Amino acid sequence: MKFFQKMRGNDQSPPVVGPVEIIWSWIGSFSGIAAVSIIHYKLFNQTDLMMIIGSFGASAVLIYGAIRSPLAQPRNLVGGHILSAIVGVTAFQLFSQQPWLAASLAVSTSIALMHLTKTLHPPGGATALIAVIGSDGIHNLGYFYVLMPVALGATVMLFVALIINNIPGKRRYPEFWL
Amino acid sequence: MVTTDRRQGTPPDISEKDIIEAMKAVHGYIDITPGDFRQIYQVAYTMAVKRLLTSIKAADLMSTPVLKVKQSLSLAQAADFLAEHHISGAPVIDEKEQIVGVVSEKDFLREMGFNVNPSFMQIATHCLHDKSCMICNLRGRTVADIMTTPPIVGTPELTVSAVSTIFTEQKLNRLPILNSQGTLVGIVTRTDLAHACHALEEES
Repeated sequence: MKFFQKMRGNDQSPPVVGPVEIIWSWIGSFSGIAAVSIIHYKLFNQTDLMMIIGSFGASAVLIYGAIRSPLAQPRNLVGGHILSAIVGVTAFQLFSQQPWLAASLAVSTSIALMHLTKTLHPPGGATALIAVIGSDGIHNLGYFYVLMPVALGATVMLFVALIINNIPGKRRYPEFWL
Repeated sequence: MVTTDRRQGTPPDISEKDIIEAMKAVHGYIDITPGDFRQIYQVAYTMAVKRLLTSIKAADLMSTPVLKVKQSLSLAQAADFLAEHHISGAPVIDEKEQIVGVVSEKDFLREMGFNVNPSFMQIATHCLHDKSCMICNLRGRTVADIMTTPPIVGTPELTVSAVSTIFTEQKLNRLPILNSQGTLVGIVTRTDLAHACHALEEES
């Protein structure tokens, strides 16, 4: 009985944020995603190089929308993405014959490693998954995927977060670096 | 209002509404549920109380120098001494300055034939009805005759919570503090303890 009672939930949602917070979250995420996608679509459009992956959308939620969260700090953003990318590429290269296994291992192992290294960043799970279920273009990158788009893209987004999040008087980013 | 329900180690009961209001007052999105915050708060509060109770030592509380009486003193002289210094008791020392006991109002009252903790009115009524006031029982006797011995003593390292436990369990009002050589270095009274708790409140 207790098992099912736990599913009811006995807490409540945190309060809604004010309009100023919403506006700055919008401005930050617009700028951050614009930065990586302009590089991707305008600079790299004649090349095989990549600058943007889906998981950056999730990172934007954290580093522009929930900037006080421990999950949104630079250590987590950059560390989580890089670690997960390595795990994802490794999983694909070892188990590409069994995509279901490669996908599951990529996500679960990156979560465990992120926990272990105090770099938990939810979009990292997506970064690891993309390394397995992504296009041939991504598969062909091999471990270069870790460097670009992942590490470089995350760094660009971090740079934008440092600028935009510190413009309003009452906002401050990051809470900590390492 | 605030102080009455604050027992040792029990945090003031903040409601989820208080937490929600506080979260609204702090700018930005905080990704924690009010219930989780409350849990963290309660644990942290308990730890803070524990830290404060163990960080303050008897050495920080005690009064020095200690007012003490010689065991050879007559009770009249001893009563004069206590009255003069507005204290209700003092450690008793022998010729070699070693502590041998504690003498207090309680010892006087016991020798006069009263039970533990008589009220002033009980004493008044006794003396008014009975022409021979029982204080005469004490004439010609010395401190050594009535003191509580052996004395209960403490060390300078005792924590404030340990001192308060001794007071409660031993029903004491004062605790002489001896260093490792057995020398009397101070005394902690209930008043000292109350001052320490008050200082803690002020700090927080």
